[in-house]
Amino acid sequence: MQNLYVRIAAVVAVTALSVLVIPGVDDAVELFFQIVVLVASS
Amino acid sequence: MSVVKKVGVGSLWVLLVLVTAIVTAAVKQRFDDGPNRVFSGGALVSGELHLGPEPDWSFVNDIATIELQLLEPEQSRRIWTASVDGKVYVWSGYMNSLVGKLWKSWPAQAERDGRAVIRVDGVRYERQLVRIKSGAGMEELTALMNEKYSSQATPATIDSGDLWMFEAAPRNTAGAH
Repeated sequence: MQNLYVRIAAVVAVTALSVLVIPGVDDAVELFFQIVVLVASS
Repeated sequence: MSVVKKVGVGSLWVLLVLVTAIVTAAVKQRFDDGPNRVFSGGALVSGELHLGPEPDWSFVNDIATIELQLLEPEQSRRIWTASVDGKVYVWSGYMNSLVGKLWKSWPAQAERDGRAVIRVDGVRYERQLVRIKSGAGMEELTALMNEKYSSQATPATIDSGDLWMFEAAPRNTAGAH
């Protein structure tokens, strides 16, 4: 179980850092979210 | 592990990545100079501050969106706009729906403290958002909104409170409606 928590923390950290550091990832994520909202609301 | 369980676990990992990415992108945007697409941004910092006479706002009818920032709280969002009789208006729809009540907080914030900054084509303008609660006399504006954005605004939706309409008036004025 402890190993699972470590893996979750690692996935969260790598994902967050990728969005924060890699140029364009944040915009791509926002575009994805925008499309999801548009589809969900239509 | 069965195939179904593997797919379920894999889906949970994908969901974790997506939620983390979306939350991180939304938080990051709060510290940026203005909004990007749908996430709220921080204060509008860059751009010349307009200090001249009141412009004829009809030019915004050729612009899809503008950036709007309230002073309290200092958050900005991208928003639709239209102009009639040289005045500029912004609005928020679906305010009587569950989505509107959960998602849209800026209209209530603007009603409490209407001081705002809008940025159009890189130029910032200090404004005072003044809510218009009556749809009387708003036929031309709602028709323009429907033509520009294919929306379904009517004076009745303003009366009912489903559409919150604001005139972005010059700062320190009570508005003209």
